[in-house]
Amino acid sequence: MKNLRQNPLALSGLLIIITVLFVAIFASWLSPYDPNYIDIQSILLPPSHSHFMGTDGLGRDVFSRMLYGSRISLLVGFVAVGIATLIGTFLGAIAGFYRGYIDSIIMRFVDIMLSIPTFFLILAVIAFLTPSIWNIMIVIGFTSWMGVTRLVRAEFLSLRNREFILAAEAMGASDFRLIYKHLLPNSLTPIIVSSVLGIASAVLTESGLSFLGLGVQAPQSSWGNILTDGKEYIQFAWWLSLFPGLAILITVLGYNLLGEGLRDLLDPKNKNLKK
Amino acid sequence: MLNYLIKRLLWMIPMLIGISLISFFIMHLAPGDITASESSFNPKASEESRQKLRALYNLDKPLMTQYSLWLKRIVKLDFGNSFASHQRPVLWETKDAKGNITRGMIQDALPVTLMINLIGLLIIFALSIFLGVVSAVNQNRWPDRLITIIVFVGFAIPGFWLALLLMYWTGVSHSWLPISGLHSAGFEKMSHIAQYADLLKHLILPVSISSLGGLASISLYVRNGMLDILQQDFITTARAKGLPENKVIYGHALRNTLLPLITIIGLSIPGLIGGSVIGESIFAISGMGKLFFDAVLMRDFPVVMGILTIGSVLTLFGNLIADIGYAWADPRIRRGISN
Amino acid sequence: MHIRYLFILVFLLFGLVACSDKKESVNNYEGTFTSEKGGTLIDAMSGEPSNLISMIAGDSASSAISGNIFNKLIKYDKNLELAPELASQWIISNDQKTITFYLKKNLKWADGHDLTSDDVLFTWKLVTDEKTRTPYGSDYKLVDKAEALDPYTFRVNYKKAYAPALDSWASLQILPKHILKDEDINHTFFSRKPTGSSYYKLTQWINGEKLSLEASPSSVMGEPNINQLTSRFIPDTSSQFLELIADNIDLMNINPIQFARVIPSRPDLKNKLALYKELGNSYTYLGFNLKHSPFNDIRVRQAINYALDKQEVIDGVLLGLGEPIASPYKPGTRWSDQNLHPYSYDKNQALKLLHEAGFNDSNHDGILEKDGKPFSFEILTNQNKQREMTAVLIQRRLKDVGIDVKIRVIEWASFVNQFIKTGDFDAVILGWSLSLDPDQYNIWHSSQQKPGQFNFIGYNNKDVDQLLEAGRTELNPDKREKIYHAFSKILLNDSPVVYLYAGYGLTAMNKRIKGIDSPAPPAGISYNSYEWFIPSTLRRNEITP
Repeated sequence: MKNLRQNPLALSGLLIIITVLFVAIFASWLSPYDPNYIDIQSILLPPSHSHFMGTDGLGRDVFSRMLYGSRISLLVGFVAVGIATLIGTFLGAIAGFYRGYIDSIIMRFVDIMLSIPTFFLILAVIAFLTPSIWNIMIVIGFTSWMGVTRLVRAEFLSLRNREFILAAEAMGASDFRLIYKHLLPNSLTPIIVSSVLGIASAVLTESGLSFLGLGVQAPQSSWGNILTDGKEYIQFAWWLSLFPGLAILITVLGYNLLGEGLRDLLDPKNKNLKK
Repeated sequence: MLNYLIKRLLWMIPMLIGISLISFFIMHLAPGDITASESSFNPKASEESRQKLRALYNLDKPLMTQYSLWLKRIVKLDFGNSFASHQRPVLWETKDAKGNITRGMIQDALPVTLMINLIGLLIIFALSIFLGVVSAVNQNRWPDRLITIIVFVGFAIPGFWLALLLMYWTGVSHSWLPISGLHSAGFEKMSHIAQYADLLKHLILPVSISSLGGLASISLYVRNGMLDILQQDFITTARAKGLPENKVIYGHALRNTLLPLITIIGLSIPGLIGGSVIGESIFAISGMGKLFFDAVLMRDFPVVMGILTIGSVLTLFGNLIADIGYAWADPRIRRGISN
Repeated sequence: MHIRYLFILVFLLFGLVACSDKKESVNNYEGTFTSEKGGTLIDAMSGEPSNLISMIAGDSASSAISGNIFNKLIKYDKNLELAPELASQWIISNDQKTITFYLKKNLKWADGHDLTSDDVLFTWKLVTDEKTRTPYGSDYKLVDKAEALDPYTFRVNYKKAYAPALDSWASLQILPKHILKDEDINHTFFSRKPTGSSYYKLTQWINGEKLSLEASPSSVMGEPNINQLTSRFIPDTSSQFLELIADNIDLMNINPIQFARVIPSRPDLKNKLALYKELGNSYTYLGFNLKHSPFNDIRVRQAINYALDKQEVIDGVLLGLGEPIASPYKPGTRWSDQNLHPYSYDKNQALKLLHEAGFNDSNHDGILEKDGKPFSFEILTNQNKQREMTAVLIQRRLKDVGIDVKIRVIEWASFVNQFIKTGDFDAVILGWSLSLDPDQYNIWHSSQQKPGQFNFIGYNNKDVDQLLEAGRTELNPDKREKIYHAFSKILLNDSPVVYLYAGYGLTAMNKRIKGIDSPAPPAGISYNSYEWFIPSTLRRNEITP
């Protein structure tokens, strides 16, 4: 925490995340209106006292929809990246530690997954299932673990022949202990940096999917689909695109800054240096 | 090393089959086929006619049969024709008896995507290395912070939103840049130089938008890599020897930082041929992304499979090059491989 | 060092941009102009045409282009009545089984060859050929015998009178025999390099970018005013709109918000863009799966019809730019019965009918129950903004009367295959076209319920069946009118679908284009597009080499 305080960027990232979390948790308290309440008498009103962020094409309050939408982006980010990091770290660790055939099989599987375009997989899954928020998170998670696998494996490979690992091995440490106590902590940096970037890109992926009509579906609101609704009127009903656009920008920025700060904080090499 | 290469090349065969098998079945298991496109939901189009079409495309046969038919053709490098009513060849142009040429779909889409992505990649790498080094050298001082914020904002901003804002600002408010497309109305009548200038003007926005997102991860990579290296013993040694700081940074540190970037370049090769659906839609550029997306929505199987196959072959080669490059560059792994 | 290079690069780019800064020309669009020839009209298309042989293509982009290149025997005029095109007249025999078309004299293809009844016969053979990959063959297969009696006479015999026959001849584009006789129609250069007989000929087609047509000097219809039509392919409608307001394209279809709010509120746009609205060719409905309980109960269907406020949907989704309908026919045409009125919005009537059908809120949770089961159903629709918004409004209105509605939005191909074909749905929001010919046998006849057929809601009414059969064999328009008015009345009462709205087609057009009929006639503004013109003072500066 002390280290974090020395890094103003990371601190502001953390503050952004906490704010978004707060907003997401208390969305139902903070919203002045029901996010799905349609009022066709007040279509496309600009921001005012009664509607902080104006109203959309069905007269719904954009502010309330943004608040509820923050839940979606948080969920999408955390769950999708959680899935991806778990799968990625597990496979990468095994591949990098055991090498040989296990490594070959895992890495060829990674190659196969990498060579099938992500949105093709997403589209196929969404063709089977409704494009609901859960399916979108699972799909993003299951299609974005390959980068983590490669990073962890590469890190393991280059650490594997280092003296401190060989020494631990010679002292009879079990495989699990070697991985868990020695290799993994020394590979944490890329895992953390990539999962934080991963959360950020999951939020972006959701907005991209919304653009293609494959994101969270109406009437449920997500920042991505509010932004997509607003893109037709970018020069007229600017509030429809400005607020969700900024919200995505700031949140993604927050994750990134925090991740950067954590990298500095958790990097064992940095710690050694400070001792 | 040679053994390793041969092993990797042999591995590619089952992988290619694996990829094609997975994609083929995912594609065909998704409900619907080409005869269910929106326009055919027309009371004038009878169900019998649609059954007839299905038979013509072999869509009424069992999946395994369809797959083996497809595999047989692909071995002869025959990617077939699109199921869409234009029936264009998927890959390359064909000529009929009278000499009329029908251009291939990938043939048309690939150069456009390749051009945008290559320029984008060059810009990303050049800028990222520069920004990364400046950041690392000024660690935790204002240039570092500023660069970090700038590249992260570039990454975080939803691309299509920024694209539309820029299109409005540069194209409508100021008419500095064209809004969409790749050529102006009178392109054919322009001189050669004017044509290049015209193309360049049309490329500015799409290329900027497409490179913006990649800047953050790579400049961050360079920065962090630099920082790691700068803390290592050989740098301390170099400094202790009294080498000028410039030489330490550019001669020793940067060179070692760039090694892992080889992996990233290898991994970027397949990305070069896969366009961005969103960018291409917004800027009305008919590249690979749009082609693929439309084909998936229409269930145009030959086009989908064609793009996936070519994409996977390139990806596998890209990975191979990345691995070899990395092994060649990193003596520790080179030793590991030859063992 | 590096920074300096970067600056130079940026500087160069901006220099390039700056020297091409075009001067804003101020046009005076008002005033009177007399029609003149020449000029280029640029429009935007969301999709690229696929195949300019319309019997094989299914997409609207293709038919928009091929309609400018090819002719049909007969056409619908501005009031949607049948009128001569290639045929100067057509005669129906007394037994209503034979139609004879008399072609105009001296018809020519764009390449100078004569266009004769042989070409018509050839086209009919193509569309009925088993090998032709067309989904539209069935209407023409009913022709028992087709013959070209002489170069100007084409005659078709039907086994029994078939009323939609004329409509089918008003949609079949005639193809040139002399070019296509040795070609495989499914796979020919002609689909992208056509030779037609109508106003325009194709001059350029750059894949993925644009397509240009030029006035054809040998057009059988006379020469159009505008010399060149260019269609740019711009998939994203927001980008299209930016191109429109930047003056790079002349017309595009816009949405209600752009029509009613964006353009009127901006003086600069109002100055240069003219807005046109015309009744579109389709309507949107809420259809029930009549095989599922409780939708098999007419009272439930009527109750839902009363519970929905159609005007609210039109105001909310279309900003008032649509019309309520009471029959599946275009308002203003003879087939649409003016004495029929949509169900009024009447919540009490809806509740009364639901109570009669056995629904009561016995546990006071706000949702009606029957036999202990709450009244809850799912509305399916495809990914279409307006339909999604409609679903949301319906959901709220039905909640008012105690019906719980869930909404599910599905990608089109899956929607058709997984739900429509299998009959696995409660209710759908979809659209049907407001057909110009009143025959709707395929949609409402009880025999059309097999998977893949169009009566997928399972509508089954003996009276309607009889009327539809009678209408099909009656070619006299006055008698047909009576039949279809009777049919519409039963349909409205049965309420197998709730008609929601028929939306207007909205167009924004640069004011440099003159000669457009406003208000639009029933056929829409483009019926006389060959008479539109661009005064030379208002034309774009064409780039000269």
